[in-house]
Amino acid sequence: MIEARGLMKRYGAKTAVNDVTFTVQPGQVTGFLGPNGAGKSTTMRMIVGLDRPTAGSVTVNGKPYTAHRRPLAEVGALLDAKAVHTGRTARNHLLAMAATHGIATKRVDEVIELTGLQSVASKRVGGFSLGMGQRLGIAAALLGDPRTLILDEPVNGLDPEGVLWVRNIAKYLASEGRTVFLSSHLMSEVALTADHVIVIGRGRILADAPVAEFVDGAARKTVRVRSPQATELADLLKAKNAEIDDVEPGLIEVRGTDAVTVGELAAASRIVLHELTPVASTLEEAYMSLTADAVEYQSEDLAHVAAATSHTEGSKA
Amino acid sequence: MSATVTAPASGASSGPTTEHTPVRNVTFWRVLRSEWIKLWTLRSTWWTLGATVVVMVGFALMLAFVSQFLADQMEGASPEEQAAMGGMLGGPAVVAAGFEMAALVVAVLGALMITGEYSTGMIRSTFAAVPARLPAFFGKAVVLILVTAVLTAVSLALSWLVTYPLLNPNDATVDFGDSDQVRALFGTVLYVTLVALFALGLGALLRHTAGAIFTVVAIFLVVPVIVQVATLAATQLEWIGTVNKLLPSVAGAQITPNAGAFPDVLDPWVGIGVLAGYTALVLVGAATRLKLQDA
Repeated sequence: MIEARGLMKRYGAKTAVNDVTFTVQPGQVTGFLGPNGAGKSTTMRMIVGLDRPTAGSVTVNGKPYTAHRRPLAEVGALLDAKAVHTGRTARNHLLAMAATHGIATKRVDEVIELTGLQSVASKRVGGFSLGMGQRLGIAAALLGDPRTLILDEPVNGLDPEGVLWVRNIAKYLASEGRTVFLSSHLMSEVALTADHVIVIGRGRILADAPVAEFVDGAARKTVRVRSPQATELADLLKAKNAEIDDVEPGLIEVRGTDAVTVGELAAASRIVLHELTPVASTLEEAYMSLTADAVEYQSEDLAHVAAATSHTEGSKA
Repeated sequence: MSATVTAPASGASSGPTTEHTPVRNVTFWRVLRSEWIKLWTLRSTWWTLGATVVVMVGFALMLAFVSQFLADQMEGASPEEQAAMGGMLGGPAVVAAGFEMAALVVAVLGALMITGEYSTGMIRSTFAAVPARLPAFFGKAVVLILVTAVLTAVSLALSWLVTYPLLNPNDATVDFGDSDQVRALFGTVLYVTLVALFALGLGALLRHTAGAIFTVVAIFLVVPVIVQVATLAATQLEWIGTVNKLLPSVAGAQITPNAGAFPDVLDPWVGIGVLAGYTALVLVGAATRLKLQDA
């Protein structure tokens, strides 16, 4: 279980993480989703005590990470691919890590086998591919048999087989009742792996919901309408509680209704239509628009999203 | 076990927790073991340690030949002259001749122990395992002290051994009954160890390999030369002499057999105390930065 309360990190004038509050529950895979630079890595670094929060606090399994007497048994963390000395062999790296917690050599060989590193275990890490580096990072994370796993972009650089392996191991660890917190900038990856998703953009939480709920909410259908009288039509649709996006003059996108309704409304009002296309937005697009909003607009929109977030948070609890 | 957690490359069927994995509390002793493993599993360690031995023994051998040459020249000189020569190139001075170069090589090792972790990102793994941070730093310091002290002592012993055939005929080898000579050799071990620690602290302060090594070389090699030229050029300025005797290298070297001839120097034990003081200051600064700043 990871609990962040009002977590904030500033680097000079730049706010990387801004008043973030969330809980990562055990027994499920929680995806941490956001574009590059959204504050995912900073948040994860604060969880394991590498970065000091400017404000707020975060605990793992009830205590700040630094207060644990056996930190590697509480949290296994894979933070940016290579946190390993390039001059040391993979096995020696794991042996040195294991020594701090009195972990037996047998366990070191176990995680080497588990991550499929046997053939390169006695090679120096400097020559590793990104994928091998990721596997070594995951091996190190599993070393202490931790109750909580934090994996920052774990599938980066992995081949398709490796990606599948990470998905399966994340699900398996969660099924054992562990907390699995996994970040990605790829919506599809999180949709395939996670049970719950926390979306972050510009250092703020934009959504915090079960994946199924997020998918339903995000994959709303829109209708693209091209018309010389687009503005007139937009006003009529707004009166019927539809949401309108002005794409360009003469082209609008309508949400909250369907093509049939739009077509009939246009006919009844003698409005000429040049195009009427139902568009099923993909999950990826929904995520993009959600995070793009966070970049383009400021507090007004965020307040709106935050309200929605607290709603879903309440319903989930 | 579960088929979902097989490692693709191996087809291993073990789950992440095939059985209970004993994981014990982090203690300073365990951190020390970890740092010990870390030190010996890097090639740079073997290179620097090897270089230290080569430098120490090489310089000793070179000076032993010089000593023998001088002794040959002095055949038939008066006992007073021979005594003066022996004082200049006595056994300890020959055996410890390479101590300043050796100290710089060991300083590279000390700096690398921490800067190597910052440059590769290893420091994040280190602090994830030891979130209190300071035990990891002090663990490095203890390992460095042990290795440097033993290495310097072994180098001195080797130097004594290889120069013995050259020095003994002229009765110029180390006299282990002379407490001053023994103290000087022991002081050499102290000096080299303190310089290594100084470099470790600088490495943690600067977090940059080249920066740390450059600074150590500047402090122990470049600045002393400049100050010594100044002392010769401006003998009437007393404060330059004071600065000179308080330099880390000059103060620390008083305890060694190769102190260098200056009109105004500190007592050997006070001098090494001054070097220890500088080292302590750097270490405290390093520990503070390590503890407070983001890794």
